[in-house]
Amino acid sequence: MKTVNHKTPSVDGKGIMMGRAAFTDDFAEPNSLIVKMLRSPHAFARIKNIDTSKARALPGVEIVLTHHDVPRKSFTRAGQGYPEPSPHDKFILDEYVRYVGDEVACVAAINESVADQALKLIEVEYEVLEPVLDFEKAFEHQSVIHPEEGICEMFPIGFEPKKNVAASYHMHVGDVDAVMAKCDVVVEETYYTQAQAHAMLEPHSTNARLDYHNRLVIYSSTQTPYHVRRILSQTLDLPISKIRLIKPRVGGGFGGKQALHGEFFVSLVTLRTKKPSKMVYSRQEVFESSYTRHPMRITMRLGAMKDGTIRAIDCYSLSDTGAYGEHALTVFMITGSKVLPLYNKVDAVRFGGRVVYTNHVSAGAYRGYGAIQGNFALESVIDVLAKKLNMDPLELRRKNMMEEGETSPIFEIMGEGTEGTAMNMDTCKLRYCLDRGAELIGWKDKYPFVRVGPHKVRSVGMAIAMQGSGIPYIDMAAATIKLNDDGFYNLTVGATDIGQGSDTILTQIAAETLMTTMDKVVIYSSDTDLTPFDVGAYASSTTYVSGNAVLKAAKSMKTMLIEEAAHYLKVSVDEVTFDGEKFVAKDKIITLSDMANKLYYNENQHQLTATESYVGHKSPPPFMAGFVEIEMDTETYEYKILHYVSVVDCGTTINPMLARGQVEGGIVQGLGMACFEEVKYSNRGKLNSNSFLYYKIPTMLDIDKLTTEFAESYEESGPYGAKSVGEIGIDTPPAAIANAVANAVNIRINKLPITPEKIFQGANQEK
Amino acid sequence: MRVNFVLNGRNVIFDIAPGEYLADTLRANHILSVKKACDESACGACTVLVDGRPILSCSYLSARVEGRSVTTVEAIQDEVNQISDFFSDEGADQCGFCNTGLALTIYALQKEMPNASDDEIRHFVAGNLCRCSGYQAQFLAIKHYLEAHR
Amino acid sequence: MEANRYLRPATLEEAYQLLLQDPKNILLGGGLWLKKSTPSANALVDLSALGLDAIKDLGDRLEIGAMVTLRDFELSPLVKEICGGVLTEATSQIMGVAFRNGATIGGSVAGRFPFSDIITPLLALDAQLVFYPHKEMSLADFLALKGRLSDILTHVVIKKSKGRSFFKKVKTTALDFAVINVAIASIDGNYRVAIGSRPSVASLALKTMDSVNNKKKLSKEEVLKAAEIASEELSYASTNAASAEYRKALVKAYVKRGLEEVSKE
Repeated sequence: MKTVNHKTPSVDGKGIMMGRAAFTDDFAEPNSLIVKMLRSPHAFARIKNIDTSKARALPGVEIVLTHHDVPRKSFTRAGQGYPEPSPHDKFILDEYVRYVGDEVACVAAINESVADQALKLIEVEYEVLEPVLDFEKAFEHQSVIHPEEGICEMFPIGFEPKKNVAASYHMHVGDVDAVMAKCDVVVEETYYTQAQAHAMLEPHSTNARLDYHNRLVIYSSTQTPYHVRRILSQTLDLPISKIRLIKPRVGGGFGGKQALHGEFFVSLVTLRTKKPSKMVYSRQEVFESSYTRHPMRITMRLGAMKDGTIRAIDCYSLSDTGAYGEHALTVFMITGSKVLPLYNKVDAVRFGGRVVYTNHVSAGAYRGYGAIQGNFALESVIDVLAKKLNMDPLELRRKNMMEEGETSPIFEIMGEGTEGTAMNMDTCKLRYCLDRGAELIGWKDKYPFVRVGPHKVRSVGMAIAMQGSGIPYIDMAAATIKLNDDGFYNLTVGATDIGQGSDTILTQIAAETLMTTMDKVVIYSSDTDLTPFDVGAYASSTTYVSGNAVLKAAKSMKTMLIEEAAHYLKVSVDEVTFDGEKFVAKDKIITLSDMANKLYYNENQHQLTATESYVGHKSPPPFMAGFVEIEMDTETYEYKILHYVSVVDCGTTINPMLARGQVEGGIVQGLGMACFEEVKYSNRGKLNSNSFLYYKIPTMLDIDKLTTEFAESYEESGPYGAKSVGEIGIDTPPAAIANAVANAVNIRINKLPITPEKIFQGANQEK
Repeated sequence: MRVNFVLNGRNVIFDIAPGEYLADTLRANHILSVKKACDESACGACTVLVDGRPILSCSYLSARVEGRSVTTVEAIQDEVNQISDFFSDEGADQCGFCNTGLALTIYALQKEMPNASDDEIRHFVAGNLCRCSGYQAQFLAIKHYLEAHR
Repeated sequence: MEANRYLRPATLEEAYQLLLQDPKNILLGGGLWLKKSTPSANALVDLSALGLDAIKDLGDRLEIGAMVTLRDFELSPLVKEICGGVLTEATSQIMGVAFRNGATIGGSVAGRFPFSDIITPLLALDAQLVFYPHKEMSLADFLALKGRLSDILTHVVIKKSKGRSFFKKVKTTALDFAVINVAIASIDGNYRVAIGSRPSVASLALKTMDSVNNKKKLSKEEVLKAAEIASEELSYASTNAASAEYRKALVKAYVKRGLEEVSKE
């Protein structure tokens, strides 16, 4: 291979660093109305009365919208395949506000200063209601968060809003209780994970204008342009053909932009005033009024025999979806479906629980998407079992974990919101990843801990993980390749580059297949008028699903080119060989460049275009083993992360450096969740950690060393053997850290983040 | 009020409000490379150089730039071109939102401490938060950039 | 932010009169915390034209102008020489370089920020403050002062002491506020122990100091006892960052280590 699996510079890194206009706000019309939201100061309230007359009268204010002024049709903001597995429980503006920061009213003014003043002039009379701020008390709480009419589920997901339940799910294989009863050893632990913030550097941003076709043209920092367009159309009762959605460069998403943010408001403002408008979230709004990870309580019970054979897994989970149910069921299901199959040889497995509403910030999609929460629980309790069995934790995993060629009944049962797809692990290098990772971290010399000073120890901990590559039978991607005069190509894809490099790797796949160089393939993505359909950047679908679409389109184009060349050379198709630059048949030759020019100017003129689509029939999981070495102060319990080793099986790495970047970015984001990032609410439900000053994401000084390697692996069903790699990096750090801490000082922390104070309190309790 | 200063090598006079911040003034005057990510001195994305020193433009009053020189990446295209090659080489380029502020910080680092040790590099750029890269690739890119300049 | 005027007075008297005229006329330091603390003001008063941005060597002490940036303070070889470089050490841990290029010594001290990492070692070094018009007081007294001062802080004066020092900032990530910070200076056998971000602003641990002062050599037990006293004599409270109990445990550990460090042979 010449391009794929070779070090290849990204197609856009240089231009962005050199300062070219690239991000959503860079494309706002210069005289855009500034759109700002009045947000609820209460965690749960009903708007009894709202008076916007003074605000509307303020010079410079163009329009003010309240729940009286907007269409009343429920929808979900979640960017997912239609019909969505998330409940339609949101109105553009509602008489109820359900979290501190929820939308009350919308103002559009000539500048920010006037908009801010106008917000202060809106008078609201609230009936303050008792908020539900503890997700463990939400079920059947007397405060019903969604009492309103007109909300519904798109298909059965266990939606019981009167009980504050957004979704619920249960599955089992075999008889867990019977098998547990026969086990020699049973361990059970309960784990709590927190509502992590995405903290992407670019705040949510969107802007709208009417073009000269009188169509609504929107730029948005989004992961799912096609879903946004559809949801806007359905809810505003605006024909979808009247809307164009363009996603420019996105400054990070991680799932936080896999749902609508300001698009409704700029749409309504622009449609009604006929003027361009823009809305950029402040950082406080990003924290308080966008989305978080679903906090969960997960109880894991393992039953095993003395010899270390794990025979049953029982997992019960409670998930907090906050004020609205975006991604409620699907994240919940992934907590089971992309975690429990790691130990596939059990006789029985059970997974279930519910997702409840609370008056917290709405939880939504977030890299890992349930797998990181489930992984923390399972990979922690495995170490607890290992200790009880007096086994090395690596040995226990080797004995029970998924191997290549095997399967798990869970794949068939659990999809994303619906039933799943049976599949064998055609590629699974977990054993290699584990062994190699142990070698790289120096496991045998360091496990469980080594004393390095009077009050300093170093210890190691680890975890294994799996994720997926798109959603089979649901995620569709398409690609169009157009030949130009002079013989270069345009590649248009719906696939959504949010900084993970999909524009680059898709170009590589096309260039490889067409046997040409990167500079001859010009990619344009995510414009609903100009690019073919793609579900968007989520579920780790881009490399596998969108990549396969590009591969098919490129193959198709190659076939067309050879046919054209045969025509020009007056030979049969079988006689033509193509090397990317020229077509040769016996002693006849024509260059691609010449042929393209003929095709457009001189002879048998017609446009060559190839469009192909791809839907996966399986979702081959990437796998990894993560190992961490920490140094802990045994007096204060502060600890430093010395080294994190990742050995990943993601099939072929289309772009090895960018793949490494995906893993390392995920590891550090996972370490943030494991060690530093705390979401803190006041007792009235206001988010105290609503700023980078109080919500601490890792800095360059916080982790000493990362070592990342990829296993040799070739997934036949993937483009050039690739599986996806976008999420797998984030899953292992919480359990790896919990295990390292337990190995260091014999204290197990089951609640994230694992702070020195928690370890200190744990140590005190033991005394 | 008006403020008179040197922007990317050219003399400019901008109309500003007394309480206006440099990040907003620059973006309003088409310097789109300046990014606002947190608007409260906490993330470094808005970094620009004032008299050659990295400062946080979201918290720097535009009025204070009177008589000074301001540099954004538009003025140091050759150097940024080079820095981006080193970033590309390590796969450190992801979403790019932190990159323009970071490029200016790296440029200032190279001028201030051309022989910076690994530790000194990390300390100098620690104020530029990144959520995508995990930092290691960025660190290696910066290290190699400095080495190439010795 | 909303402001009606930006002014750069040519004299301190002019600046002072502006502050007296209207409580909504505010002094600009580096302005880094301004956005968060003050959404609107009448006049913004900039002291940049008053030559307060110099570090002057006055022989036995350094005179630091209030407008000296934290970064210039951090990079100053003169400052680094004081008592084992404790001021440089502490300053280098405050936010990032770009932040420190804007923030000023004057702003950092006058603000009396409880999370301040610079106030704690300045307190351990018995820094003196000079105000306009003509008021001088110790940093300790300034911290104890109730209410606002209308005077303008113009200089911070620090004795060029030779001695040993210890500084520890406990934090989550590298750019975080201190969970607790401890500064210990040992000059000519005299120990000064300051503890900040308790969460309240730095304070001298006087009883702790009494227990170890004028002792030539400190035994292990004396150090332990002193650390214990430090964790008891000052008030510690629970915040989102840490509980009072954990703060006390940290103080005990780090005062112990600090005293060991500065008193070892």
